Amino acid sequence: MPILSVLIFLPLIASLVVAFSPDQFKAYFKWFTLGVTAIELAICIYLYQNFNHDVADYQFLEQLDWITLPLGNLGIGSIDYLLGVDGISMPMVLLTGIVMFVGALSSFQIEQKERGYFSLYLLLTGSVIGCFMALDMFLFYLFFEFMLLPMYFLIGIWGGPRKEYASIKFFLYTLFGSIFILIVMIALYLSVVDPVETAVRIGLINDVSEITPQIITEVQNLLKDLKIPSEQIVHTFDLRFMPDAGNFLPDSWLNILSGTQIFSFSARALAFILLMIGFGIKLPAVPVHTWLPDAHVEAPTPVSVVLAGILLKIGGYGFLRIAYPIFPEVATEYAFVIVAFGVLSIIYGAFNALAMNDLKKMIAYSSVSHMGFVLLGIGSLTSEGINGAVYQMFSHGVLSAMLFLLVGVLYDRTHDRRIDSYQGLANKMPLYTAMTAIAFFASLGLPAFSGFIGEVFTLMGGFNSPLIPRWLTAIAAFGLVLGAGYFLWTLQRIFFGKYWVRQFEGTLEDLTFREKSMLYPLAILAFVFGIFPHLIFDLTNATISELLKLF
Amino acid sequence: MNAIIALSLFGISNLFLGFLNNRKILLPATLVFILIALGLNFADWNHEYYWFNNMLKTNNLSVNFVTIILLSTFLVVAISRSFGDDDEHSHPAEYYAILLFSAVGAIMMVTFENLIMLFVGLEILSVSMYVLTGSDKRSLRSNEAALKYFLMGSFATGILLFGVALVYGATSSFDIHGIAQGVAKAKEQMGGAYGPLLYSGVILIMVGLLFKISAAPFHFWTPDVYDGAPSIFTAFMSTVVKTAGVAATYRILSISFPSVYGLWGNPLVYIVCATLIIGNITAVYQQSFKRMLAYSSISHAGYLLITVLAKRPETNSSLLFYSLAYAIATITAFAVLMVVSEAQAKNGKADESFEALNGLANNNPLLAFSLTISMLSLAGIPLTAGFFGKFFVFSDAFSNPSSLFKWILVIAILMSTVGIYYYFKPIIAAYMKKGEVAKIELSPLYKFILILTTTLTILLGLAPDLVKNIF
Repeated sequence: MPILSVLIFLPLIASLVVAFSPDQFKAYFKWFTLGVTAIELAICIYLYQNFNHDVADYQFLEQLDWITLPLGNLGIGSIDYLLGVDGISMPMVLLTGIVMFVGALSSFQIEQKERGYFSLYLLLTGSVIGCFMALDMFLFYLFFEFMLLPMYFLIGIWGGPRKEYASIKFFLYTLFGSIFILIVMIALYLSVVDPVETAVRIGLINDVSEITPQIITEVQNLLKDLKIPSEQIVHTFDLRFMPDAGNFLPDSWLNILSGTQIFSFSARALAFILLMIGFGIKLPAVPVHTWLPDAHVEAPTPVSVVLAGILLKIGGYGFLRIAYPIFPEVATEYAFVIVAFGVLSIIYGAFNALAMNDLKKMIAYSSVSHMGFVLLGIGSLTSEGINGAVYQMFSHGVLSAMLFLLVGVLYDRTHDRRIDSYQGLANKMPLYTAMTAIAFFASLGLPAFSGFIGEVFTLMGGFNSPLIPRWLTAIAAFGLVLGAGYFLWTLQRIFFGKYWVRQFEGTLEDLTFREKSMLYPLAILAFVFGIFPHLIFDLTNATISELLKLF
Repeated sequence: MNAIIALSLFGISNLFLGFLNNRKILLPATLVFILIALGLNFADWNHEYYWFNNMLKTNNLSVNFVTIILLSTFLVVAISRSFGDDDEHSHPAEYYAILLFSAVGAIMMVTFENLIMLFVGLEILSVSMYVLTGSDKRSLRSNEAALKYFLMGSFATGILLFGVALVYGATSSFDIHGIAQGVAKAKEQMGGAYGPLLYSGVILIMVGLLFKISAAPFHFWTPDVYDGAPSIFTAFMSTVVKTAGVAATYRILSISFPSVYGLWGNPLVYIVCATLIIGNITAVYQQSFKRMLAYSSISHAGYLLITVLAKRPETNSSLLFYSLAYAIATITAFAVLMVVSEAQAKNGKADESFEALNGLANNNPLLAFSLTISMLSLAGIPLTAGFFGKFFVFSDAFSNPSSLFKWILVIAILMSTVGIYYYFKPIIAAYMKKGEVAKIELSPLYKFILILTTTLTILLGLAPDLVKNIF
């Protein structure tokens, strides 16, 4: 069974079902959505169980020809519907399953235009999960762009008072980044040749299934000697072929040997930088992070959960899936710059989080800070660093989902998110206090929780890496102290002391059953993954060792 | 090519149909006429014919262009709704006849083999458009637009004619292939340089044509004329006239003057950049949806001209694809704008501004959805036809080794991001702004056209190879 396609198309079809079902079923939309995301989660867990830890290559591959374009003298363009997961995408797929399910539970409070909301939510689910599994760069880009639309409407229609500003800002920022990715995608597409299909075209083999490594080498040699007529060259978006320098046309822009210069700048370096900006906006790295606090503040709780829990991870995932394997030598050269931006994000995000009075903004900036660790880990180019980065993405996905849910709990009751409006909540809401304390401690990197593992491993990677100076990583480590500072300070201000809430007459109820059912599992996950980090590391290790051979 | 003859005859018979008291018959009759012309056009597929003493030539490229032109005309006619029930002020028979005549002019502009035919075609198209622009005769804006268009347009045609004369002086030929030989010979005699006659001739021809497709800096008439003309004719102007103009530019520059690329290529680079920047940046500041569409049409002229500039044999298919995607999306946008502004005018509210669209999605989901898809396509968001249009154009620019193209590409890409901002304004208005648009009753044909264009836009975004392989 094409299980990955089911994962993508189940929510997409469900989205259509919701969009076209009559109004009398309105009350069931949320249950339907919850059911669909539950099935998604089940499939993700099934994938996780059946994922072979020892194989570095892609698994559960699915391939179909989608678009074939004759381009005259340029050859033939081929776009495939190509899906697969490896050690880098598997944790992300699992994370998507978890966060989307929790987000659906949290969406139960949506009380206007349910049809549109749940239909868009399911659309978002499908496109996000597709983004993590697409192995054709075009398909990846398609999902990458496409998820912006439901997100845009989810913030823009169900958001807070400044929703229009926030949603268009979110959209324009991300789209600006994705246009950079589009440029590189076109350049790669004009440079990279699909050796398998080209072999079929020039008659070396009759069918794709007959391909052997010898044939690929033969095609690559023919390519190097310019012996293949240009009309028969099949250009491709296939990410599996892009890391191999032999698949690049000899005189193309991005061939490592051609040394093309654009504006007196190496074309490959330029392409890498464009990709880094494109994905950096999504991550978000300072200084292109400013859309994030706005989007978070205006977005409804479940959308914030999805935004922080999954969408940010696509930036980091894009680095590892596209930028690093294709341009390894540039990545090595610019390691210092990338890590420097990572450290800047850690410190700048943390200082901002310290200064924020809005609880959601505080958490948004803490996200910026935590995603800086991802950049640090990836930039270090060590096994610990990259494994840690993937781990950090997973852990932050779980924890930030939890943090935003916690803010949502408070906001639902009082419609106030200012930190200085609360005092001594521990007296009235003990369970809520306990959950918040767990989430805060896990986020600030207390050992035995998942945040600790991610941060420690990325820092280890930073210290171990020959490419970056120790002092830079030392500064990043200082970010941990700041993290402890803003989390603990917030904890103290809101929960301790004498009970007082600004302009709120009623009584504050503790967690309801629905809230418990969202928060408890996440807390348990943060704990389990903190104690047994090999649950994720086993997935990532083989793939990342393979990736590091490129450097 | 029989399409030309047929359409002219149909136009005349349309005029006679106007004598009947039954206005209802005109719309279906015109649609049938266009479909017949479309069928006749397909008869030329896979043949290369010269017509009327080598005046016109049909080949697959021209058949494709004619198909786009006739398809756009068909869609525009289909959303015209017989021009309302106002007996005193509207003359549907004449309007339909003129639309058919101008389609003839447009077809001549994409098939001409002789510069005289280019001129005749351009004049047929332009004169028809002057009339149609002023057809709302009680409206001051419409009158102003028609006069403005006429004055400026006739100057532009004069300039074009002057250019044709100068080129004739330099190459002693009106035939576009003859000109190419003449240019080569002249270049040989001059030892690689080109004389002032040829130089000014080519530039003047270009100016005349670029005026018609409203490329900057010849775009000043566009916003006022688009704004003043009745929306239905603006839709026609921004699709058919633009496609024909770009096709004519492409045809003459790529066939007659490829050997003097530097002569027209260098100025065109600046024109493309200026068009992209002016069109997109000015569109951001518009308060009126219709005026925004006018500036958006200027900006799309810039993207279309990139393919002309890229000068590769493959670029004609990008040009075709882009024109098709642009035409379908623009007509959808105008179709929505027309019914909404009419409904709002009945309530005495704002007319063609973005505010007229506020809250459209609440009662009119189909209109809002079609509008969204068409805006996404114009903005170039994936899974719509417009994305692949941009994708092909950018690929063309990318594969050109000249370093100038990198600059053009940078500007084009930056400007398409700017475009997203203003194309989202109508979507924001329709879905997110508070407002009330009463349920608008649409005729079955109107609904069908909206669904058709929306489906086509998505279909071409999912499987562009369906038509790209034909082009």
